Amino acid sequence: MPNIPFETPVEDSVPKVADEVAVGEDLDFQRKWWRFEKIIWPILVLIIVADVVGLFGRGWLAKAKAATPDNALSLDYERIERASTPSIMTLHFGEPAIHNGRIVLHVSDSIVKPLGAQRISPQPALSVVGNNEITYVIPATQSPASLQIEMDPSFPGLHPFRVQVEGSTPIDRNIFVVP
Amino acid sequence: MALFTVLRAAFGYLFLVFLTRIVGRRPGKQLTPFEFVLVFYLGGLTLTGMVGTEMSLTNAVCQIFTIALCHYVLSVLRLRFPAFQKVLCGSPLLLMSNGRWRSKSLSQALLQDDDVMDMAREQGIRDLSGIRVAVLETFGQLNIIPAQKNPPTDVKGEG
Repeated sequence: MPNIPFETPVEDSVPKVADEVAVGEDLDFQRKWWRFEKIIWPILVLIIVADVVGLFGRGWLAKAKAATPDNALSLDYERIERASTPSIMTLHFGEPAIHNGRIVLHVSDSIVKPLGAQRISPQPALSVVGNNEITYVIPATQSPASLQIEMDPSFPGLHPFRVQVEGSTPIDRNIFVVP
Repeated sequence: MALFTVLRAAFGYLFLVFLTRIVGRRPGKQLTPFEFVLVFYLGGLTLTGMVGTEMSLTNAVCQIFTIALCHYVLSVLRLRFPAFQKVLCGSPLLLMSNGRWRSKSLSQALLQDDDVMDMAREQGIRDLSGIRVAVLETFGQLNIIPAQKNPPTDVKGEG
């Protein structure tokens, strides 16, 4: 087979300026793009403002509190979290939570799996798994007492969780993890 | 999860392409120090989110392949569809012609007449009367076509 290069005729299709210079400027498109840029910049500013106030976590809007009616348990957490970013959930125990020198805390599995609980401090004396939850037994003297769960969520999305101390009503909340 | 690392790499690449398109083009030869900071800082910040905690060689190789594939697909789309090419790269912009500044184009490209004169001086042009046409190309090069030295027929040849 002969070695023939593929060729096509040269066409001077690029628009010229003043019939002299082939530039190919498309000012109509460019004006549309500039209008698009004018819209985009305010949106970028809004995203930054939303970020600063905590709409994407780690800010004022993201912080949340919850408590049981009898104040046996109250919770400081972030309703919006970021994936692969550490956060802390603090549990405050009132007098009704302490029975016989100990607190029995039930935590749903979702705290561990999608919300990535890394460590509990102070360490509970006993941890028991089962029934889609983890039960911690924490020695306690008297209120106020608190416990921290360090979390590092891996999975974006909405994750419901439940915490409950023995003898009180449960707290059911959701945490939204952004990518 | 492997799927997420690939998606993160693709998103990071496309996001940066979009952002650099929005930030605007400046002539490559005229990158100022703070624009160098922008280039490196954007890259570094994107890297943090794209890699995350997965620092394995496998992850790096797969993400590089993903970005290469994205780049290839964009290049093919750019070649096939002229409208896509304009969205991706923009259109060449005339900054000066017939002895008059295109002031709107200059301001939108975040350029000043001094920038055009910088490039003109590089070509030995002493003042504005020596410029026939000044064009900001889509790839960021600022091209000056002299008024007297090159007659129009030569300009066509340079294409």
